Amino acid sequence: MEKNKSLWQEFSKGLFRENPIFFIVLGLCPTLAITTSLENALGMGIAVIFVLVFSNVVISSIRNIVPDKIRIPCFIVVIASFVTIVELLMYGYFPQIAKKLGIFLPLIVVNCIIMGRAEGFAKNHKIIPSVFDGLGMGLGFSLAILLIAGIREFLGTGKLFGKIICESFSPCAIFILPPGALFTLGVLIALFRRIKKGRADGY
Amino acid sequence: MDIKSVLMIIISMVFINNFILSKFLGLCPFLGVSRNIKPALSMGMAVIFVITLSSIVTWLIFRFVLLPLNITYLRTIVFILVIATFVQFVEMVILKKSLSLYRALGIYLPLITTNCAVLGVTVLNINSFFTQNQPVAGSFFYSVIQGFFAGVGFTLALLIMSGIRERLMLNDTPSLFKDLPIAFMVASLLSLGFMGFAGFRF
Amino acid sequence: MEDKFLVSFWPHIYDKDSISRIMWTVFLCLILSGIAGVYFFGLHALLLIFVAIITALTTEGLIQYFRKKRITILDGSAALTGLLVVYNLPPQVPFWIPIVGSFFAIAFVKQAFGGLGRNIFNPALSARVFLLLAWPKYMTTFVAPAGSVDALTSATPLTLFKESNIGLSQMGLSYWDLFLGRRPGCIGEVAIIWLLLGAAILLFLRIITWHIPFSYILVLAGLSWMFDKNGLFKGDILFCLMSGGVILGVFFMATDYVTSPLTKRGKIIFGAGCGLLTFIIRRFSGYPEGVSFSILIMNAFVPLIDRYLKPRIYGKK
Repeated sequence: MEKNKSLWQEFSKGLFRENPIFFIVLGLCPTLAITTSLENALGMGIAVIFVLVFSNVVISSIRNIVPDKIRIPCFIVVIASFVTIVELLMYGYFPQIAKKLGIFLPLIVVNCIIMGRAEGFAKNHKIIPSVFDGLGMGLGFSLAILLIAGIREFLGTGKLFGKIICESFSPCAIFILPPGALFTLGVLIALFRRIKKGRADGY
Repeated sequence: MDIKSVLMIIISMVFINNFILSKFLGLCPFLGVSRNIKPALSMGMAVIFVITLSSIVTWLIFRFVLLPLNITYLRTIVFILVIATFVQFVEMVILKKSLSLYRALGIYLPLITTNCAVLGVTVLNINSFFTQNQPVAGSFFYSVIQGFFAGVGFTLALLIMSGIRERLMLNDTPSLFKDLPIAFMVASLLSLGFMGFAGFRF
Repeated sequence: MEDKFLVSFWPHIYDKDSISRIMWTVFLCLILSGIAGVYFFGLHALLLIFVAIITALTTEGLIQYFRKKRITILDGSAALTGLLVVYNLPPQVPFWIPIVGSFFAIAFVKQAFGGLGRNIFNPALSARVFLLLAWPKYMTTFVAPAGSVDALTSATPLTLFKESNIGLSQMGLSYWDLFLGRRPGCIGEVAIIWLLLGAAILLFLRIITWHIPFSYILVLAGLSWMFDKNGLFKGDILFCLMSGGVILGVFFMATDYVTSPLTKRGKIIFGAGCGLLTFIIRRFSGYPEGVSFSILIMNAFVPLIDRYLKPRIYGKK
C-alpha cells in the first residue's frame, strides 16, 4: 500500500506540483515553437512521453554500471537513440505531423526535461519508479503544451484541431507568432504560480 | 558564393530569424543566465565558440562519413556527441583559465550541450545547404557563417535581456510577475520589436 | 506611504508633483493634432479617442486598486498612453481595437513591470505593434481625408512609395498637403503642423530635450537621402520626414523619459539608433513604416546604454 502510494506521487507530481513547463520551466524550446496548433502539440507530446519513459527505463537499468565521469555522454547516447527511433517511426507512420514538427523532432534529444529527469531521478532510482516519473513528467509536459496550443490556436485562428469553433470572432493573429507564444507562456506561468500559491495558502 | 547571400544569412540569423526571439532555440540558458550582464556575455562567447566549431565538424562528418556510408539517420546521435565533446573541452579550458568565470557560469556551461541552438543550427545547416544529399555550392562556407552568426544572434538577445533584467531587479514588479513571467513579457516585447525585420529583402 | 521609499535606478531624482504637470502638458500639446485627425477622418475617430483614454484610465485604476496601491490615474500618464495608442491607429478601426490596445499597453507593458517609471518599453508603441501583428487587416486599412481630390487613393503615402515607387505628385499630394495632414494615415500622425507646434512648446518648456529628435532626424533623413532606392543622393527628405509617423514618434514617443537614456550622450546614441533602424526597416523589410519597431528595439538597449555611459563621477579620472 505504501509503495503504491509513493508510486502515484512519483506520477502525479509531474502533472501539477512540479509541472516541467510551468514550474520547473524546462523544455521550453519545443513548447513555444510547436504550440501553434493542437495537432502538432499532440504529436510532440506523444513523442516526448515515449522517449522519456524508455530512456528513463534504460538509464535506470544501467545506473550502477556506468562510470560517473562519462555518464552524461552515455545518457545522451541512450536518449538520442530513442529519439532516432521515434523520428523514424514518425516519418514512417505520420509523415505530415513529422514534417510539421520539423527540426524539433531531433531536438527532443536536447529537451532539458529528458536529460533533467535522467540526471535528477532515473540515475538514482529503481526501474519501476523511474517509469512512473517519466510517465508523470511526460504527461505533465504534454498537458501543458496542449493547453498552450489550445489557447494559441483558438485565439490566433479561431479553430481547434483545425475546425472552426466561432464564426464571428476575429482571430488575433499575434498568438501564432513568436511574440504571442512568449506572451502566452509568461501569463500562464504567472497564473499557475498564483494557483499554486492559492492552494498552498489553503483555498 | 556571393556577398548578397552571405549578408542575407547574417541578417537572417541575427535579426529576422533570431534563434531565441524567433525560433525559440536556446531558451533555457537564455532565461537562466540572463540575470546579469557579465555571465550573459561570457555564456554568449562560449556558445559562439562551441556553435562555430560544431558547425564545422558536423558538416565535415555529414559530408564525408554519414553521406558516403548512407547512415544519415544517425545524424542526431553523432551531432549531439560532437557537441557534448566540445562542451567538455571548453569546460576544461575555462576551468584552467579562470576559476571565477567557471563558477559564474555554473551549471549553464554543461548545459550548452543541451542548448537547442547548438544542435539546432547544425541540423539547420544540413537542411539549408544540402539538397537531395548533395551539398550546394559554397555549402561549407555558408554553414560556418550561419553557425557563427546564429551564435551572435543568441548573444545579442542574451545581452539585451541581461541589461533589462539587471534594471528590472530594482523595480517594484508585482509578485505575480516577478522574475520569470516578467522575463517572458520582456522577451515577447523584444520579439515584437524584432518582427519589424520580417520580409527583409535586399 | 510605501511609495516614499524608493529603491530605484540612478539618478535618484524623483519629483512627484511635477509628473502630473509634465504629463498633462504633453497631453495638451498633442490635442490639436487629434482635432485635425477628427476633422480629416470623421467623428468615428473621436469615438476611438474617448474609448482609448477611458480604457486606459479604467485599466490602471483597477490594477492599482487590486494591488492595493495609491490610485494615480489623474496624474495624466495613463491618459497620455491612451491618447498615444489611439493616435497610432487608422481612423476607421472597430471600437474594440483601441480597447484591446489600451488595455495591453497599461496592463502588460506598464503595470506588469511595476507601474509608472518602471517600464522598459514604450506602452503606446508596444500596443500599436501588437495590434498591427494581431489584426493586420484592420491596422492597414486607411481612408482618404475629407476635402481631398477624388483621385486620392486610401493607401498611405509611404505604402505607395514603397510598393509602387511613385512620387508625391502622382499620389495627388503636395508638400503642403503633407504638412497640414491632408493625407491618409493614422489619426494623430498626419497633422505635422500641429505636432511641430506642440513639440516646439515642449522644447521651449524643456520638457523634452533636442538630443533625441536631432540625432533621430539627422540619421534618418541623411540615410534616406543618400541611399534612396532610385539612386544615390536622390532621396526626398521632406517626404521621408512628413509622410509617416516620424514626427509623432520622434518628438512624443522616442523622447519618453522612462524609456530613453538618461545621459545626453546616451540620448544621441538612442536617437541615432532609432534613425538607423527606421531607415533599414523602411527600406528593406516588408513593412512600409519602421518608426514603431525601431523605437521599441532601441528601448531594449536603453538599460545597456545607461549602464555603460554613466557620467564621470566628479573627482575620479
